[in-house]
Amino acid sequence: MRPALSSERAGGLVHARLGRPAQDLLEAVVVLEAWGGVPSESALALDGVAPPRSAAPSPAPARPIEREDEQREGIVAEGIALLVAIIAVAAWAGPLSRQLGTAALEHALHVALPLTVALQWMLRSRYLGRRGGVRQLAEERVAVLLLTLGVGGALIAIPGAGPLVALFVLIWVGGAVLARRGWGLGYAALVAGAAAALASGAPAQASLAALGAIVAAACVLAVASSGGPVEEAPGRIGRALMAGAIGGLIGGLLIGDSSLGWGVHGAFPGLALAPSVIGSLWGGYHLWQFHAAVPRGLRGVPLALASDAIPRGPAAQILIGALARLIGITTLLSLAVIAAGRWTDGTDHLGLFVAFGSAALLSLFVSLHESLGYARWALLVAAVSLAVELALDRWVLAPPPGLALSTAGAVGTLLAVAPLVRQLRSPGRMLATALWIK
Amino acid sequence: MTRPSILLTTEATYPYAVGGVSSWCHLVVGGLPEFAWYVLPIHAGGRRPRQLFELPAHASLAGRIEVWGEQLPRRRWIRDRLRGGRPSLPAELVRALIGWRPDHEELLDALVWCRRHPGELRATFRSVQAWRPFVQALREVLDERHPELAAPPELDTVDAARLYQQLYWVARTAAAPTPRVDLLHTTAAGWAAVPAIVHRELHGTPLLLTEHGVYVREAYLAAARSRASAAERFLATRLGRGLCLAAYASADVISPVTGANAHWERKLGVPPERIRVIHNGIEPSGELTAAPRVGKVVTVGRIDPLKDVQTMLHVAAEVTRQLPAARFEYWGPPTKGQEAYAQACEELHRRLGLGDRFRFMGTTAEPLAVMRDADVVLMTSISEGLPMAVLEAMAQGRPVVATGVGGVPEVLRGCGIVVPSGDVARLATGVATLLRNPVFAERLGRRAYARVRERYTQRRCVEGYRTLLAELTDHDLAAAA
Repeated sequence: MRPALSSERAGGLVHARLGRPAQDLLEAVVVLEAWGGVPSESALALDGVAPPRSAAPSPAPARPIEREDEQREGIVAEGIALLVAIIAVAAWAGPLSRQLGTAALEHALHVALPLTVALQWMLRSRYLGRRGGVRQLAEERVAVLLLTLGVGGALIAIPGAGPLVALFVLIWVGGAVLARRGWGLGYAALVAGAAAALASGAPAQASLAALGAIVAAACVLAVASSGGPVEEAPGRIGRALMAGAIGGLIGGLLIGDSSLGWGVHGAFPGLALAPSVIGSLWGGYHLWQFHAAVPRGLRGVPLALASDAIPRGPAAQILIGALARLIGITTLLSLAVIAAGRWTDGTDHLGLFVAFGSAALLSLFVSLHESLGYARWALLVAAVSLAVELALDRWVLAPPPGLALSTAGAVGTLLAVAPLVRQLRSPGRMLATALWIK
Repeated sequence: MTRPSILLTTEATYPYAVGGVSSWCHLVVGGLPEFAWYVLPIHAGGRRPRQLFELPAHASLAGRIEVWGEQLPRRRWIRDRLRGGRPSLPAELVRALIGWRPDHEELLDALVWCRRHPGELRATFRSVQAWRPFVQALREVLDERHPELAAPPELDTVDAARLYQQLYWVARTAAAPTPRVDLLHTTAAGWAAVPAIVHRELHGTPLLLTEHGVYVREAYLAAARSRASAAERFLATRLGRGLCLAAYASADVISPVTGANAHWERKLGVPPERIRVIHNGIEPSGELTAAPRVGKVVTVGRIDPLKDVQTMLHVAAEVTRQLPAARFEYWGPPTKGQEAYAQACEELHRRLGLGDRFRFMGTTAEPLAVMRDADVVLMTSISEGLPMAVLEAMAQGRPVVATGVGGVPEVLRGCGIVVPSGDVARLATGVATLLRNPVFAERLGRRAYARVRERYTQRRCVEGYRTLLAELTDHDLAAAA
């Protein structure tokens, strides 16, 4: 072995290896043993290899914060699928209403819309919002298949509009899976093809059944062909159920106001919904940076300020940006649809657009609460909003279109905003206690 | 007569991963059927791990602890709601685990609370009241002064939040239930020790700690090799040190697998009388076979920076310059996550123009046969406990050239060539000397074989634990027999 080292030489060796002084005695000993060829016994016996207190460790690059691009792609794809579904409702509504009857279509939409949103939230929580989400779905294919058959069977058994409900849910929820797999354009083409077939007088149920079968087959193919290792586990079942319940209540808001006229006013509720969906999509896309942008924004904020309130901190900025996008795009597109509504019938009532915009705002806040781990509060907010909407719908005589939904959205938004403001004011605390303690 | 029961806690090893620690666990658990074994593994969240070792009939899993996952701790709905949590808990854990002079009693009090209130942990760490005291305690830790410490790095809010999250998982680990047993046996002085420390404090059950590598040394080594910031290195090493000191303070007996570990343990405050070295063991070959004398140098091990494969490539270049007929074979896959290092090694291999003179052979299911076919076994690690690869070579009667890290000098005393880590010239000289002098090489191999038979057999290892475990459980071996 080498001759015994002096403390000075040992300190020099450590500095040379690390490019900086050791942070403490133990680090010096470890470096001497591993790279200096000094047996641990000798290294441990050395004194004076620890650096002087004045020597500050040299700065090193901060660890980059993991990006969540794949998840962002997932949420965008899901949004596109939702948008296509809504336009499909708008496009299918006329032909379906003529062929199946207005009451049957209205009934089907009233059941299918909240159920679709619930299932989409649930799937997103457990699988689709995660890295390798479709592969996780493939791993649990037996359970998913049984659940699908169970839900499908129960829906078909609904008196009257059962098969139609089941087809709507299958087509729209399947769309979310296909979009997450990256097959959103193909899905959009399928739905557009079905709309063209319906418009040209093809039998309604047969057309939808064919579309449903193709979507189901495509889903099976999408899941079966998703390869690669699955590194992340699916989300908690309890959390997915909670997300499903919240989604169901949000979906319930869309049909709880009878003045919106789903199935009665042909394509118009669907067209009026489109601006807020696009606004939500853009706002949600921006908000999706939240989990990565907050730590990125807090990098370099000294420990001494970690507990302080930062009113215009990264969290508040992201949320304000998301709100600006949602409100801005919804307003602009609503005005555009209203302008186009001169040539149509029934779309130009401002209340309809305000109602859907209000619901989109509420949905954004509720979804933020859920992602921060405040799922019970999110559920309460959604439930209170729905209760307000149903109460107004029942007890206010001849309300203007969308009044119940607008009011419910406003009440829910107020309920959701108060606790969020407290959280967002101290982003350091929020990062530690809410974002990173799941 | 009922069998004494033992809870074996493991960390990312047995029975979910292959490797030296897992093999040791399997040997000891399988070799001591007079005890009832309960295995409690800790693993990182994500996928549920596949069990790679089948437990013997007298052993069973006592659950598993998943860290970094999404699963919530068990919760008593009404009772846990009525209590308000313990907002001071994160601050207490910072002082007791990250501080340079930690208060072990404070740590025990905090960890025991976690075990008694598992359903309140999430609420405690999510509480808005917990953050400010935590930050204050962390600042106090950074203000500590000690001759062994350099100036602390500048921590920012994200570093603090990350530590906060890690302490939450320490608390969750402490909260995991453990079965009533007669003895606690933990395989590392880190996370695996946490449930055992709590159990010992609650029930007074004796705790045995077996250290394969020194946990704190490995934490520092990993940090020094990482590209992490100064703050991240600081927090990672301090947490590793805090957990290690806690395990040392609670363990009734520490049984390192090599005397080299004992130096560290004593330096970190363990009284010598609590340390009982029990070496790892191996089954020596029934009879010695002659070396092939073809100039073959073999290494068995993962491709990992800890194995310092790049130094080995330089050694190969030097040896083959002197002895063009020499051939090197490296058996073993890259460690998961070290694929970039493996690529860098291949790049260096190309740059040095080694060609067929040094070959990466991939995984082998027959490491002993591979060693038997070698003239010399080479090991260039920068950190080891008691490396099984060295024992395997000795058990086949092959001479070893190795770096003097961890327990290597102790094992190879008088029967191998030990040189300082990273010293290409001496390593190459050692290898070339043995290749040029097959008679000397054979003599070293025979000595190594005799030393293994004398000191490092599996039987001796298992017997060592049989005696120690019986002593700790007050088990009468003679009566049981």
